Amino acid sequence: MSLVIQQPGNSVVTDLGRFRGPRFGLPVNGALDQFSARAANILAGNGDDAPLLEVTALDFRMRATTDLLIAVTGAPLRLTVGGRECQQWEPVSVQAGETIALRRMHGGLRAYIAVHGSVDAPVLLGSCAPDTVVGFGLRLAEGTELKTSRSVPPIRQPYFDLPLFRLGLTRPEFHSTAVVEVTDGPDVEEFGDTAELLYNTEYTVSGRSNHIGLRLGGALPERQSTAEVLSRGVPVGAVEVPSREELLVLHRGRGVTAGYPVLAVVTSRSLDVLAQARPGHKITFRRTSVTEATAKHRAALRELETLRSKVGTVFSLLGIGNQPGRHQPLPAAGT
Amino acid sequence: MTAHPTAAQPPVEVFESGDAALRVVASSPDREANWATVHALAAWLDNAGADGVHGAVPTYDSLLVEFDPAVTSARQVRAFVLLGLRQLEFAGVPARAPREFLVPVVYGGEYGPDLERVAEQQQLSVDEVIQLHTTKAYVIRCLGAPAGSPMMDGPDFPFPVPRLKDPRLSVPAGAVSVAGRQAVIAPAMAPGGWCVIGQTPLTVLDAGSEPLVPYVPGDALRFLQIHPEDFAQYEGRKLEAIR
Repeated sequence: MSLVIQQPGNSVVTDLGRFRGPRFGLPVNGALDQFSARAANILAGNGDDAPLLEVTALDFRMRATTDLLIAVTGAPLRLTVGGRECQQWEPVSVQAGETIALRRMHGGLRAYIAVHGSVDAPVLLGSCAPDTVVGFGLRLAEGTELKTSRSVPPIRQPYFDLPLFRLGLTRPEFHSTAVVEVTDGPDVEEFGDTAELLYNTEYTVSGRSNHIGLRLGGALPERQSTAEVLSRGVPVGAVEVPSREELLVLHRGRGVTAGYPVLAVVTSRSLDVLAQARPGHKITFRRTSVTEATAKHRAALRELETLRSKVGTVFSLLGIGNQPGRHQPLPAAGT
Repeated sequence: MTAHPTAAQPPVEVFESGDAALRVVASSPDREANWATVHALAAWLDNAGADGVHGAVPTYDSLLVEFDPAVTSARQVRAFVLLGLRQLEFAGVPARAPREFLVPVVYGGEYGPDLERVAEQQQLSVDEVIQLHTTKAYVIRCLGAPAGSPMMDGPDFPFPVPRLKDPRLSVPAGAVSVAGRQAVIAPAMAPGGWCVIGQTPLTVLDAGSEPLVPYVPGDALRFLQIHPEDFAQYEGRKLEAIR
């Protein structure tokens, strides 16, 4: 039981990240658009943190050697299975021998493919997320064979032309202009009045952006002090001004420690938005509070919980797999 | 969001750092005490294993505590951090015998392209720079980027070492560097803006084992000059504690 990569484009096997990494000096890494990655796994009947494929920007093709159930989320694209057009953000049945193709990604930068039962990948500190600095992880190449663990017989669509599933998830929107929410960083005072420039400027995403950080062109806040900063841990989402040319927004591949003042920090929810920002896209920042950011993050996760229970119902009616388990307990709203 | 706990506890400030992290800063006038506080607190947090707390990254005077905002919140983690400080106040910090590492280094030439520049800037001879770099026993202060680099207080140079104007796109694994008043070894190949004065042939990072690097903050490290022709003799050996 496997998937054979025919056209890798730019793709890896990842999960939600290496949460034990930072204390050992390794970045968390993992799926940059966490909402899309979680949604893909839920739609495929997996736990949120199951290994899945992250496809960045380029066209991608692979062939199934067995009957499978998959789900594709993230940036809009043209999804075909055995030549048939299929829907993203829904479970999709794949028959042995068919080719799964993702083409013409647009509006965003990253798509996720989850496979029911997941795929095999090596693990470091509890995660399969690639780490480019230590050279760890599964980057896909032409001919790579991904082992899958569960076969799902083809699900027949009784009514021609009707979608197979109707799960009602509100899909994220993908625009070439995005509003990114941030909270004031621990060093905001070092920037004096120039900090306000962050909120009054439209920034342009530079082509030199990657999983470590996004570089944004536009009017730059300026640090008012020149005192040397001792290296310290910096959070994912830290907004820094390391040079006079660009703003740097650190993402999940960031070096764990650095010596630049942290002007602002992107919210967990908005990190997903940044994960989908293409070079040339426009970004504006909006100030929010930690309380509001936490509430939005939890609201998104509750939406995914609703999806999970619907998927569970549908899958048990169809006799697919086990009832998908929840990855982690979610507290009641407002705690 | 600043906390000033009671006078008996080490003075600490807690700053919001987004919805999934807090920065804790020890702010006493005593640098050593600040360093001990943030590392003891990091160890306490690791041992406590609170739900939703991913872990803590201690450096010199600061600690980044990362958490899952779906399971806990900045407010809860902040209260937990203050509880940890109080516990440490009662129980003290468990003593751990530091281990010692000896690191063979080829200085200068292709191994240390910035050695002469550093000597010139320090108004010292190349030999004096090597002498100062190998004389000292360094305390590993924290694990930094990339990949668990051992961050150390630098050699006793007369002046701070300026960073490179144009950072290198790639510095090899084993590079031995200085910048400001700090010293470091690169466990993995990465971009870098520090002055590279030498290179060790030893393998520092082993991605196939846990922990990935053999040292922890508090351990001691010394450098030993070797000849370029001896580089190959050590190559591929792992960095291991000598005691």
